[in-house]
Amino acid sequence: MKVRVDPERCQGHTLCAMRAPDTFELSEIDGHSSVVREEVPADQEADVREAVLSCPERAISLIS
Amino acid sequence: MTTEDAAVDDDGGRKQPQVHFDRHTPDYRDRFEDITHELQGQCPIAWTEAHGGHWVASGNSEVFELARSAEYLSNDHDVKGERRGYVGISIPAPPPERKGQGGFLEMDPPDQRHYRQTLNPYLSPAAIQRWVPFVDEVVRASLDEKIESGHIDFVDELANIVPAVLTLAMMGIPLERWTIYNEPAHASVYTPPNSPDMPRVLDLSRKMGMDLMAQLAEIRQNPRPGLVDALVRADINGRNPDNGELLGVCALLIGGGFDTTTALTAHSLEWLSQHPDERARLSRDRKTLLDSATEEFLRFYTPAPGDGRTITADCEIAGTEFKEGERLWLSWAMANRDPSVFPDPDAIDMERKGNRHSSFGLGIHRCIGSNVARTVFKRMVAAVLDRMPDYECDPEGAVHYETIGVIQGMRHLPATFTPGERLGPGLDETLVELQKVCDEQRLAEPVTVRKSKARIDS
Repeated sequence: MKVRVDPERCQGHTLCAMRAPDTFELSEIDGHSSVVREEVPADQEADVREAVLSCPERAISLIS
Repeated sequence: MTTEDAAVDDDGGRKQPQVHFDRHTPDYRDRFEDITHELQGQCPIAWTEAHGGHWVASGNSEVFELARSAEYLSNDHDVKGERRGYVGISIPAPPPERKGQGGFLEMDPPDQRHYRQTLNPYLSPAAIQRWVPFVDEVVRASLDEKIESGHIDFVDELANIVPAVLTLAMMGIPLERWTIYNEPAHASVYTPPNSPDMPRVLDLSRKMGMDLMAQLAEIRQNPRPGLVDALVRADINGRNPDNGELLGVCALLIGGGFDTTTALTAHSLEWLSQHPDERARLSRDRKTLLDSATEEFLRFYTPAPGDGRTITADCEIAGTEFKEGERLWLSWAMANRDPSVFPDPDAIDMERKGNRHSSFGLGIHRCIGSNVARTVFKRMVAAVLDRMPDYECDPEGAVHYETIGVIQGMRHLPATFTPGERLGPGLDETLVELQKVCDEQRLAEPVTVRKSKARIDS
């Protein structure tokens, strides 16, 4: 499973990093999110799915 | 609220459905849940003749689609009438004596973007993390003032104090001035326009404005780190803004930072008192629960319940035809209770999944203080759970704002608890010490300049 953050839609709500801190890292400057790596390890899949559903801007997408 | 089938002047059937809807009434507060679900069920975008006439969006998908239609929505408050005469994010627009641009929240890009870029390094998650020891010390001192007495007003004696002191520290304003800012910041929100108390409130607001102007001038002359310093030196799309414009920005930072965090904290502490099992669970499992509980309190209580917009061009969005110049109320609070996104929306579930609430807004105007709000809230609640775990709020003494059109807030939340021991000096003495820490360690520098956490020796 691959995960991506759309940088145009991300507004720095930070919920993704709360739910899946190993997958999403936040900019020191503005708190916007990017993925640590695109490929999601199996043990993080549940957290990453939760992060997708938690994004108010719907900025995160999954590609299986 | 009633739905009307054929109303006067509905522009050939376009301004439909029409409802009676007025946020600034006690009825809206009393029947918020019923009104929300009626609107969502019948007309998630509706027109109301209240306050000069405006659209109100209450459905989650409608609010989402509208908020992201940035090219058709303006926040602009054109106070001097130099552009299109739009009147900003308040519905109704403020009366003449309080008319002023509300900082970058009442601007559109590009200026809005430049302000955000200027202030981001002071307000990012990394920037706020550095302040945690400072916040903890203000919380400790506030609780120490009351811990031996066995009673506290969580609004006046905790939730009003901590956000105010932190905001001033981050701005670079001397901490002991927090009392000049505290009262008008709250009173100007909860005082109805026709109240006999309004002249006193306006007087306090003027004094706050004068102090802000003095701080702006002082920091221009003698720089010291913080948000104000960033603002006075800012390059906003090729210009350095004057103090008049910056006054509006400072008022935004204060208005955004004070009352909202107070409201969230007071409501949450009240709920936890009413649900002691949940409170005990939160305290015990806070490592796994506090983050999601915080988001749930944000969703349920939505302290800043919505914002106004002006439509910039004739358009169709989410099945509704809008005309240029029309006013629209985006209700974050009602969108947060949409059962299609939040199952059982009117219940608090501290473990709620998929909690994509819009309590900090959506889009480019996402609350720039969101990381401050979350951090200060969590530190206050954790300290209360640790030091007064059996607190009981007095329902007779709790005072909620009569109307929730501007901020869903509380004025008083008295509680009793088993007394405990003081851990350190009281508030005034602590603020003197913290001022020294701020100045010596230059805590208010942006995270790009200073990365380390505040060091408080206790």
